[in-house]
Amino acid sequence: MKRREFLIAGSAAALEGLSVNASQAQTSESRAKIVIAGAGAAGLSLASRLRHGMPNATIVIVDAKKQHHFQPGYTLIGAGLWSPSQVTSNNADYMPRGIEWIQEAVTAFEPETNAVFTTSGTRIDYDFLLVATGLKLDYDAIEGMDTALIGQNGIASVYAGPNEAQASAAAIDRFIETGGIGLFGRPTGEMKCAGAPLKMTFIADDKARRAGRRGAVELIYNAHTGGVFSVPPVNERVTEMFAERNIAVNYTHVLAAIDPGSKRATYRTADGEVTLDYDFIHVIPPMRAPDAVLDSPLPWQDGNLAADGWVEADKATLRHPRYPNVFAVGDIAGVPRGKTAASVKWQAPIVVANLIAETAGRTGSASYNGYTSCPMVTGFGKAMLIEFDYEGNLTPSFPFIDPLKEQWVSWLIEEKGLLGAYRAMLRGYA
Amino acid sequence: MSDFSPVVVFYILSESLGIWLWIVLALALALLVGITYAALRLRAADRSPARPLVMAAIAGVLTTAIFTFLVPGWSHAEISALNGPVDYVFAILFSMVPAGIVAALVFIIAGLRCASGMARTSKNLVGAIKG
Repeated sequence: MKRREFLIAGSAAALEGLSVNASQAQTSESRAKIVIAGAGAAGLSLASRLRHGMPNATIVIVDAKKQHHFQPGYTLIGAGLWSPSQVTSNNADYMPRGIEWIQEAVTAFEPETNAVFTTSGTRIDYDFLLVATGLKLDYDAIEGMDTALIGQNGIASVYAGPNEAQASAAAIDRFIETGGIGLFGRPTGEMKCAGAPLKMTFIADDKARRAGRRGAVELIYNAHTGGVFSVPPVNERVTEMFAERNIAVNYTHVLAAIDPGSKRATYRTADGEVTLDYDFIHVIPPMRAPDAVLDSPLPWQDGNLAADGWVEADKATLRHPRYPNVFAVGDIAGVPRGKTAASVKWQAPIVVANLIAETAGRTGSASYNGYTSCPMVTGFGKAMLIEFDYEGNLTPSFPFIDPLKEQWVSWLIEEKGLLGAYRAMLRGYA
Repeated sequence: MSDFSPVVVFYILSESLGIWLWIVLALALALLVGITYAALRLRAADRSPARPLVMAAIAGVLTTAIFTFLVPGWSHAEISALNGPVDYVFAILFSMVPAGIVAALVFIIAGLRCASGMARTSKNLVGAIKG
């Protein structure tokens, strides 16, 4: 144990007497073999909690990715405030002791035989499978788009990674300098952090105002439906703010193609295809399950979550209805909301608590209400701390913070608080 | 807020501040020792702690006032970003960290000077009576 870990663990142990999280207090002596597919936010958080709660279990985590990225920080890089190094660390730093980490990608799931296969062809059997692979950013689904274009010809996209987010920040600055038309929007279907497309629009607006160039840029948000956000009170508030800030909105516009050479973007609309000229465009790709999941029996077989391959899961327990020893957590879970790190913070303890209960011969009763959170940055130093559940009810964690009011304290939570909370979540302590 | 137990808050602070958490805790401990020592010296010299306390309070209030305007900058924001009472309360709360350090230092220095000044006065008085 490293010195720092020892100090932290010792101090936390001293505090442990003051308060113990209910789900952490439960343990199971089961020797079950648990395979976690994916070492992102959900995979690491699950691994840490399971290591605490099931000390005798064999826990295997499968992921080829060695770097870890704090994805909620991408919009702050896109704003030009953070650097890529602030969101980049190593998965090894968060891997709990006593976990076997197979540094290969999962290539196939075979739930009928309780096995997964890796890139080397290795078969890994399991008693329980936790699918936490994350999702695939499908840039190829937009004709003419390539991640290599990000940062060039007025093309930005903060989703692609920290370096691309930094290139996007530079693209926003160039756009503000030169002026012209800026297009924003989001894809149809489920996506991670649905607030980010709005955040980037607000950030571009604020940067242009600060530079005294707001009159030189025309900002247009292309909403994929008849609203800009799926939660009604938030939709109303953001629509009102867009109007106040002279940000135009096109409804039911979904980006289908771009022509980087002529700077034209084609949108699918209710009335057919529409082509818009741009000087700057923030591209957000459609999102879907990774190929290994998509090609497996795990996704929904029908309904609106089937086409993109999201793993079928009970929305309260995240358990697969057809394969009861399989759970889906994080972005890959086929539930109505919850593709944020904040969702993982609530999903992981639910799944672990129920798994511990089940392997200890008890009945698990933990239930996920769809909680997710979006600190909606509306300018430098301002944000709205929006939290809601499956039903679209606003569920503020802090009663003194108005979720629909632009506040510095909400920005402070985004800018200073989330990274620490996220890392604590990866270690299974938050 | 029910999930923000002391353990959770400790881990979040630990992950947020890194080594600075331990530096701040060590500094807080050192200041606490200093305050206790200064208070004991005042008591031994039979001096009231009122004057050092008032000086510390003034220094603390001034530092809070100054840092309230600086705290938004620490978060890449401007003072104009403070929007409503909750923002000001949090800015003041954060400002109370440096203010607490300054107030503690002022109390220690003023307390020790006060105590040693009394000791010197007593010594001089005894010397004058004997002489």
